[in-house]
Amino acid sequence: MIVSSIPILFIDLVGSFLMIVLSFLSLQLVFKLRKQDRDNLIWTYLWWICLALSCFAVSRSAGHILKDILLMGGQKRIWGIIRPYSGAINTTMFIVVGSVTLFFERIWIIYQLILKDRLALQSAHKELLFLNQNLEDLVEERTNALVASEHKYRKIFEVSKDMIMVAAKDGTIVNLNPSGYNLLGMNSEDDQIENRNVRDFLADAGSWPRIVASVESERSVENVELDLVTVDGTRRRILLGGSMADDVDNDEEIIHFLVKDIEKRKVMEEQLAQADKLASIGELSSGVAHEINNPLGVILGYTQLLLRGENSASERYSDLKTIEKHVRNCKAIVEDLLSFSRKSETDKQMLDIHQVIDAVLIFVQHHSHIEHITIEKDYNPTVHPLLIDEKKIKQVLINLVVNAIHAVGEKGYIQISTDLSEPTNELLVKVKDDGHGIEPKYLKKIFDPFFTTKSTGEGTGLGLSVSYGIIKNHGGHIYVESKPGAGTTFTVTLPTALTLPEN
Amino acid sequence: MNRYVAKLPMLTGVSAGLLMFADPALATQTHGQPEGLYVHQMAHIFFLISMGSLDFWLRQRNLTEQRGWKYIQFSAVLFILWNIDAAAVHFLDEHLDILGITKIDLWHIKIENSQRHDSITILYYLMKLDHLLCVPAMFFLYFGLKTILKTTDNAAGDKAQS
Repeated sequence: MIVSSIPILFIDLVGSFLMIVLSFLSLQLVFKLRKQDRDNLIWTYLWWICLALSCFAVSRSAGHILKDILLMGGQKRIWGIIRPYSGAINTTMFIVVGSVTLFFERIWIIYQLILKDRLALQSAHKELLFLNQNLEDLVEERTNALVASEHKYRKIFEVSKDMIMVAAKDGTIVNLNPSGYNLLGMNSEDDQIENRNVRDFLADAGSWPRIVASVESERSVENVELDLVTVDGTRRRILLGGSMADDVDNDEEIIHFLVKDIEKRKVMEEQLAQADKLASIGELSSGVAHEINNPLGVILGYTQLLLRGENSASERYSDLKTIEKHVRNCKAIVEDLLSFSRKSETDKQMLDIHQVIDAVLIFVQHHSHIEHITIEKDYNPTVHPLLIDEKKIKQVLINLVVNAIHAVGEKGYIQISTDLSEPTNELLVKVKDDGHGIEPKYLKKIFDPFFTTKSTGEGTGLGLSVSYGIIKNHGGHIYVESKPGAGTTFTVTLPTALTLPEN
Repeated sequence: MNRYVAKLPMLTGVSAGLLMFADPALATQTHGQPEGLYVHQMAHIFFLISMGSLDFWLRQRNLTEQRGWKYIQFSAVLFILWNIDAAAVHFLDEHLDILGITKIDLWHIKIENSQRHDSITILYYLMKLDHLLCVPAMFFLYFGLKTILKTTDNAAGDKAQS
């Protein structure tokens, strides 16, 4: 087949020329790209590709153009000499372009890593520059924030109503807040707590290793009930919680404790339990008293009937009198039981409590030998008259004063005071003595009917029970505080409202 | 040491004798004409593979989503086609005795086909126009670079403005 060689020659010549032109134009573009960012590895890579392609284009196109010109000019021999060199250069350029191109993936990964590092470096540089320029401000800002934070937490530490204590594992107290000092009966300004040991303040020192073991194993301890002994020897019940922490000053671990004083709560719980117990006993007593009261009335009636027909000098009359006396005693006890169970009737009037107390004191002074006992009155003049059953309140006060006289013995001091409580505005009547006090084990039973520490025949054990019933019947409360050897204080509270609750 | 020095003249004599009466060892391989052709064909295959790898990695790195790199990908594909074309023409020219090309005059050539298949002759003629592939490949490379440059110029402008 004979074909025209013009298209081949034309495309060969024009194409070769265009290859050279385009390769150099591409090289120029990459040159501009590189000029923009000389550190850009991708542009450098493209620069090498374009350079290799330009060399390839020149070697190949120049060879083709030369070939076409020489062959058209009949210089086949000259082309025969040049041809191997042109072909070899051309082949070499293929390999160079191919080799450079193969590195694209590796170059791209390296470029991405460089970019990442550069960004990180730029970010670090910016941060460093910012820190350098604003270091003083930043330090001041941080210091202020630290001071504010320290102040805030110091405030919490200082004003906390609960005891906050920092202690080492061996029990050495490192820090204690003012509430802690108060709880331990110490003065935060005068007394030094540092280097004292927690064990010194625990009623059971053996509980400390158990607490530490628990904190070490669990990293914290919660709601441990303990008895604390204050510096003056008073026991207070506490609820302790703690957690392990690292000491900022050294590598040792320390324990942060939060201690709640639950003494008041416990006392209230005990008082509530006591009130429940007394209410139950009252119900029982009331039932028994009612059942006994009627037969006693019959016995007394018949005894008095028999007495009328008897000669007062006879032995039978004397026997009947003995029966009458003991029946009357029994009736008195029954009456007391009814008073305790709040079943007895009351006759309440508006009275001045101070006059009632004065009358009681006069009565007691006439009937007891209290020459060496100092009785002091401390009345609050703002106390107004209140609605009370005079007879029964007098009975309560006599009981309390007589008990106080028995407690102080032949010589002592008794104080009767009145006041108004805040904010309930209740009347407080306190009977305080400096007698032998009451042992803690008796305090819970003191208002129980028939409980007495006196010898048989000296008391029925109903005095305080009756007083308790009477005060409860008035809508009030009666408490006792006592320390063995340090005296006893009975506190009676009575509502000052003009109208009493119906119950 | 002296013992070795004493033996030196004897060793020199033996060595000189061996060199004087030596035969050709034929240790160096000679390279005939076909080697150049094979190297050239291999270079085409190597160029083809490298362009194929470029195309693969451009897709793999999602660079083809950018217009500039997309053009460069087109360029790589066209270079692959060009390599196939060029290698095929060389193969037909040099390896097979199917075609015989004779220059009739300045503007005509005669293509003799031993198989008498005109399709091969026409294909050969068309494949001889390989610049129709490599020139567009260079063209796409140029446009790709131009687009990248434009993009970086715009980015640099935006950066300078901000």
